[in-house]
Amino acid sequence: MRLDIDTCLKKASVCSPWLFRINAGSCNGCDVELATTALIPRYDVERLGCHYTGSPRQADIVLVTGPVTIKMRDYVLRVWNEIPEPKVTVAVGICPISGGVFRDSYAIAGPLSRLVPVDVNVPGCPPRPQAIMEGVVLAKQIWMKKLGILEG
Amino acid sequence: MSLFWSLVHLIIFPGGAFALLVALYLKGLDRRLVARLQSRVGPPLNQPFLDIAKLLTKEQLIPATACRPVFLLAPVIGMAGMAACAAFIPVPGVFGGLSGLGDLLVLFYLLPIPAIAIMLGGSSSSSPFGAMGFSREMLVMLSYELPLLMVLLACAMMTGKLSGAGTADFSLVSIVQYQLENGSYCFNPVMVPAMVAYLMFLPGTMGVAPFDIAESETEILEGPMLEYGGPLLALFQIGQAFKTFVILGLGVVLFFPGTLCDFWPVNLLWFLVKCTLLMFFSMTLVRSATGRFRIDQAVRFYFRIPAALALVSLVLVIAL
Ligand code: SF4
Repeated sequence: MRLDIDTCLKKASVCSPWLFRINAGSCNGCDVELATTALIPRYDVERLGCHYTGSPRQADIVLVTGPVTIKMRDYVLRVWNEIPEPKVTVAVGICPISGGVFRDSYAIAGPLSRLVPVDVNVPGCPPRPQAIMEGVVLAKQIWMKKLGILEG
Repeated sequence: MSLFWSLVHLIIFPGGAFALLVALYLKGLDRRLVARLQSRVGPPLNQPFLDIAKLLTKEQLIPATACRPVFLLAPVIGMAGMAACAAFIPVPGVFGGLSGLGDLLVLFYLLPIPAIAIMLGGSSSSSPFGAMGFSREMLVMLSYELPLLMVLLACAMMTGKLSGAGTADFSLVSIVQYQLENGSYCFNPVMVPAMVAYLMFLPGTMGVAPFDIAESETEILEGPMLEYGGPLLALFQIGQAFKTFVILGLGVVLFFPGTLCDFWPVNLLWFLVKCTLLMFFSMTLVRSATGRFRIDQAVRFYFRIPAALALVSLVLVIAL
């Protein structure tokens, strides 16, 4: 096999996904579950190399919670556009996937897939921490596909 | 010939490659130990390398309103300043240090450069959080500079007095030499307060909890680092890694440079073990057990406790 620095860097890079949260009008249930995956000993996302960052410019995987209210739509789009490529979008909770309990509300602009390309859906209201972590692992695989280094 | 050796010291050992390798593994160890102390699993040891590799592959975004030249140059300044510093650090029993008088003073002037680079980057990024981070970083820096200066002065005067030169001796080479012959300063009651002050200075200058005031991601979204991502952030992280090596190495050199035997690999390992212990007690333990200080609390802390301890040592050395 040819030793290729670019491929090596790309392979190393998927082991360090930095997560960024966007709260698009969520009821906070999902945000609490996201915090759970980071903060308590039982579900430690750091062991996957993850790191919650406060800046969209440093993010690789973006986790969106909430049904995307009309007020939040422009801000969500703006922040989402500030995330550098390659990025993977994960919809956390049933709200960004279909609207959930807010489905027929006059105030929502969602679901999220109408606004931005969504790569992984993690359903649940709120989803369990295990499900969120599985979503992050799936997002890593999609990231590898986007970089073109996933074999098989 | 001496130019050749200076370059070797700058690029391979103790600066450059060696410093980077040691510092990045220490950072991985630090993250892992914090996770273990909080009974989590924690990231793999080579996580900092992976992070830097990742950042190098990402797209570089530059805000349209940023001051471009300063924004691009700030991480380079920070990294270059610290890479130069790393070459000055003697490894007792292995490398005697670059000769030349007053290298402790050079270090004292070069040490604030990463903080200044962070301030430059934050203020040129045109983000209000960057400006907030700028002022916070500056306040913390101003408060830990004073104790640091007194600690370094105490070490220099101690060496000058005891070795009979009379005045302060600012050469790291002779500070190490004197301690190797007459025992380390950590066993000298006069110097113990200065050592404690130095231990308290470490978390502040590295910006880890409880002094992560400038880059608090929960309050001001990484502050000065908010607009940085991709390769430029990788440069900042490399600069930060060099800084870890410099201040840990400086701590070992100033207070515990003792060697085990005359065989250099053993001395090298011993140096690394001491760096690790220093990091564990001054950063890892503190970081995993504390929250974040308010700005005024941090400033008050630095002007009260470490400054007072360093002053005690300084006065005792002068009275000696
Ligand atoms: S999915 Fe459920 S828990 Fe999550 S934001 Fe929507 S309503 Fe709240």
